[in-house]
Amino acid sequence: MNTKRSNNLTLLVLFVLVSGVMVVSLPTIFPSLRNMQNMGRQLPEYGLLALANMLAMITGGIDLSVVSITSLSGVLAGLVLSSYQTIGLPTDLTIGIAIAVALCAAFLCGIFNGALVAFAGVPAIIATLGSNGLFLGVAVVLTKGAGIIGFPPAFLFFGNGNVLGIPTQFLIFVVVASLVGLLLNKTTQGFRMVMYGTNPLVSRFSGINNEMVVVKTYILSALLSGIAAIIMISGVNSVRPGYGSDYLLLSVLIAVMGGTDPAGGFGTTLGVVLAIFVLQVLQSGLVILGFSPFFRKSAFGFLLLLIVVFQFYRSRYFQLRLSSAAAREKLQV
Amino acid sequence: MADNVLEVKHIFKAYQGVQALRDVSLSVGRGEVHCLVGENGSGKSTLIKVIGGVVAPDRGEIVIGGRAHARLQAIEAIREGIQIIYQDLSLYPNLSVSENISLNQMIEKGVRLTTRKKMQALAAKGLEEIGETIDLDERVENLSIARKQIVAITRALTQGAKLIIMDEPTTAITRGEVEHLFSVISGLKARGISIVFVSHKLSEVFEIAESVTVLRDGNKVGDYPAAELDDAKLTFLMTGQSFTSSPYRFDETRRGEPPLLEVRGLTKTGQFTDISFSLWPGEILGIVGLVGSGRTEVALTLFGLNSRDAGTILMDGKPVDVKSPEEAAKLGIAYLPEDRLNQGLFVARAIGDNIVVTILKSLLSRLRLIDRPKRREVENRWIERLKIKTPTAAAAAFGLSGGNQQRVVLAKWLATEPRVFILDGPTVGIDISSKSNIHEIIRNLAEHGMAIVMISDEIPEVLRNCNRILVMRKGRIEREIRNVHEMTEERLFDVVTARRPEEVQ
Amino acid sequence: MVKRLLRRNETYLCFVVIAFCATVTAVNPAFFTLQNFFDLLHDSSGSAILAVGFLVILLSGGIDVSFPAVAIMGQYIAVKALIALHVSSLALALAISCGVGLVFGAVNAFFISFFNISTLIVTLGTSGLFYGAMLQVLGSAGVYASVLPNCFKVFGRTNVFQLKTLTGSSYGLSVFALVLAGVVILSWIILRRTLLGRVIYAMGGNMEAVRRSGVNIRAIQFFMYCYMGLLAGVMGVMSGSLIQYSDPTYIVDTELLPVLAGVMLGGASIMGGAGTITGTLLGMALIALLEKNLVLLGIPSYWDQFFVGVVLVVGVSVTHIQRRIRGRRQLSLLRE
Repeated sequence: MNTKRSNNLTLLVLFVLVSGVMVVSLPTIFPSLRNMQNMGRQLPEYGLLALANMLAMITGGIDLSVVSITSLSGVLAGLVLSSYQTIGLPTDLTIGIAIAVALCAAFLCGIFNGALVAFAGVPAIIATLGSNGLFLGVAVVLTKGAGIIGFPPAFLFFGNGNVLGIPTQFLIFVVVASLVGLLLNKTTQGFRMVMYGTNPLVSRFSGINNEMVVVKTYILSALLSGIAAIIMISGVNSVRPGYGSDYLLLSVLIAVMGGTDPAGGFGTTLGVVLAIFVLQVLQSGLVILGFSPFFRKSAFGFLLLLIVVFQFYRSRYFQLRLSSAAAREKLQV
Repeated sequence: MADNVLEVKHIFKAYQGVQALRDVSLSVGRGEVHCLVGENGSGKSTLIKVIGGVVAPDRGEIVIGGRAHARLQAIEAIREGIQIIYQDLSLYPNLSVSENISLNQMIEKGVRLTTRKKMQALAAKGLEEIGETIDLDERVENLSIARKQIVAITRALTQGAKLIIMDEPTTAITRGEVEHLFSVISGLKARGISIVFVSHKLSEVFEIAESVTVLRDGNKVGDYPAAELDDAKLTFLMTGQSFTSSPYRFDETRRGEPPLLEVRGLTKTGQFTDISFSLWPGEILGIVGLVGSGRTEVALTLFGLNSRDAGTILMDGKPVDVKSPEEAAKLGIAYLPEDRLNQGLFVARAIGDNIVVTILKSLLSRLRLIDRPKRREVENRWIERLKIKTPTAAAAAFGLSGGNQQRVVLAKWLATEPRVFILDGPTVGIDISSKSNIHEIIRNLAEHGMAIVMISDEIPEVLRNCNRILVMRKGRIEREIRNVHEMTEERLFDVVTARRPEEVQ
Repeated sequence: MVKRLLRRNETYLCFVVIAFCATVTAVNPAFFTLQNFFDLLHDSSGSAILAVGFLVILLSGGIDVSFPAVAIMGQYIAVKALIALHVSSLALALAISCGVGLVFGAVNAFFISFFNISTLIVTLGTSGLFYGAMLQVLGSAGVYASVLPNCFKVFGRTNVFQLKTLTGSSYGLSVFALVLAGVVILSWIILRRTLLGRVIYAMGGNMEAVRRSGVNIRAIQFFMYCYMGLLAGVMGVMSGSLIQYSDPTYIVDTELLPVLAGVMLGGASIMGGAGTITGTLLGMALIALLEKNLVLLGIPSYWDQFFVGVVLVVGVSVTHIQRRIRGRRQLSLLRE
């Protein structure tokens, strides 16, 4: 309990610190509305994928296929969207169909991953590595290796529009992140995911249907990737299989930075969201300050190592306190 | 006592202010089999670790072969001929028998290059010395636990052991295997190798040991020749209290009612054959048998975690098909597993989480979300009812004592309001003093109409708490004992181990 | 003997590779030529070297995702250094590249052994940190063949021996094959003939028991991650020599997944403790064949990714379903 809260506190302090440095060094540009909007536009794409990986990690798994799922759902949605002039349906309906197609595709990808992990017993890291190749392969075959362009202008609202000055995709992100938080804290599936991730054997002995929990987890993770796909293709008004491949490792990194235990059982939505914010502030700030994207990469790597080393020392401290408490209790009884 | 292999003198050790060992001394003679007994938390494992050089004592000294050490390094202990065989045996499951036997020795000697043949030669020689044969190329993960133990002992010997400390070696092996192990130990003894045997199973202590050292709460109670001790006396020494309890009485007139659970001809090839019994509400039915007798497998089948090839299970006279624990829970069947830490309890999670995990659906609000106040109410109710010692339901189960942890597992299943509760080793690894509390809870449940199946290794436990006992052997029900109060521990023990087959007939 | 062979993953993998070759040959006889085989070796030796190093780490129960970054850093730094020094020495290039790999490996091992952090996370972090830093310092401009130090070009074109085709064009076995052979033999000796190798297997089987045996685990971790770094350094120089061009964004995106896939197909367990060099080489061969030879079947190259995916998914599923069935018989479905 304490560890969770203190991890989020660390991230909050880090967020304030990084933001503070940026505001001080860029007093006019950084806090400007334009920069805020820019950050709000960039963050949801990888933020959703990080949440997807957090869910998989809570069950002790990982989802290496998130970017390929975005590619596949993006391509399928793109195929529907790009034909809006030829199929002759109302534009709104076409967009609706495209979104539905993207989410359905993601859903099926999720079932596929979940089945590999739950029923075939393949460790998640290999299962999703394989399906990563497969999904991307299907996407490439569908487009014959090319990209798809030319979407209805109304569709661009998801990746370029604003609602009351707030970027649409940021609002989508906030809603989705809240739902994920609700899932983990208030639903049976969320509770079971956490318990399964803590110890799958005890979970089976507690009457939990482990297979269903796992399949549902990968479906949820895939759906988050599907939503990311819609935002992504809308943002660039095109779709190319493999677009955003950098996001894969980034999403894993953010999930871990956010305090998710890759071994399963622990992770909070708030922590991951805070980690996303820290990275976005750092990223935008460094861009404005004129650092290359490479330096950003370096800074992220440094930050990850810093946080895990910090976590190591903190967990050691907590363990000492816990074990002495346990020892005291045992001798009293 | 110049012939002592090991002498531990006035050891003190504290962990963060908690005194784990207080002025403990111990001496082991050459070729002696010495038993170290005590409840969980009595300091046994700390003492072993001090001897093995894994933990440094705060005060006191360790004399090995006449040389005194204030602080012993692990590698020094090994060089001095002290080998500890932990309960998990520390073998490498993915390597072959010969590699397992020879690897540590080669590490110790600083060997760099090796071949399969060299490793095999070393292993073959070691096995030959204790007169055992095991396929040298077999992977260790494919061996039975008893065979693995032989591999571990052989490894200890080839490293030049003069003193072998074995931590709870008999908990997971069958009676026949225990006897085999004891014969191996006698062989070692004849060669002048000393054995320290750490155990909490009382009856075995008398069988093998010459002298017994009893620890309690980090203090040494005393050294006793094994011949002078019996079960009751040892229990008293270990706990400082003596226990008496009357056997559980079941109102036999209830047998006129239809049985709650009926099992007919349950069979699974290679595990159990033709298991049939009935269970009435208010009964505590004991199932005893050695590990491997099929008792746990039958329980898992009733709980939906194991399949069956033939036979029927009836609840209230209606045939049911239990395919998963989920379905079992719906039918009102609960199961408390033997391995609490790996199967029963989410150790890292809050006590409250553990309690409500089985009944999440009943906590949902109209929006299908978990209702927090309802949840808290349920958690606190069970903590209070089972007297779980904790300041809050949000504390991790990790910090609880064994007895309290077991109560959490009980609470988890009692929350589902089961009608049949199968308890597999309900007091394994629990202090003698907390044991009787758990027994009280169980008897109370039965008195209120729950049907209980108690599977146990401990014959006294079954005799004291069950009104009927089934003895299983080699996958079959060998015998049903209805007049439990006329049974003695010795006779039941003989039935279970089939020592006197003529009596079983 | 036959029974033992049939129990082994490698045997089946071998059948699959042979079946694949037979199919391709039936459709397009151009496949089954020594020249095509030599070309394949030339193209794939580098990846195979990475795979062998990766196997060593995997056997101990760890994972290293930093090797692509190490390889490209070694290569790019070596190229830049040689240009700056106006020298063209393969030995120096290899020394620099391998040096980068060793330092990188040591840093990985430092974090892993002193802070007990998950190996995946450490290598993810270090690769971002160092790779980004290098590009920030050295820039990201590609070095074209015209500027590339001559030693790279020569290294990439050197053959052990030359042969002539019927049409008169010449081809040969690249020295890359010798480098690969050297790495394979060295790694085989380490894994099979030294105590170190046995301990690496043992670490993947029961880390706690290894700790109790008194062995210096820290030293072994330093050895393994440095060895991986060293091999990645060698591969970096080979890769630059192969394509006669040094692009600092090249290997990073292209090598990680195929190498992981090849090692997994080769039967290594992600949990550590199981896997062989033979299996790894066969797995890498299958991946290389799929990636480079589907064209010969008349399948457009955009199908490559799809087939690699299918083979990987089917391959790992079959292995794990088998394991699961075997486990179920012993009632160990209860072991997660």
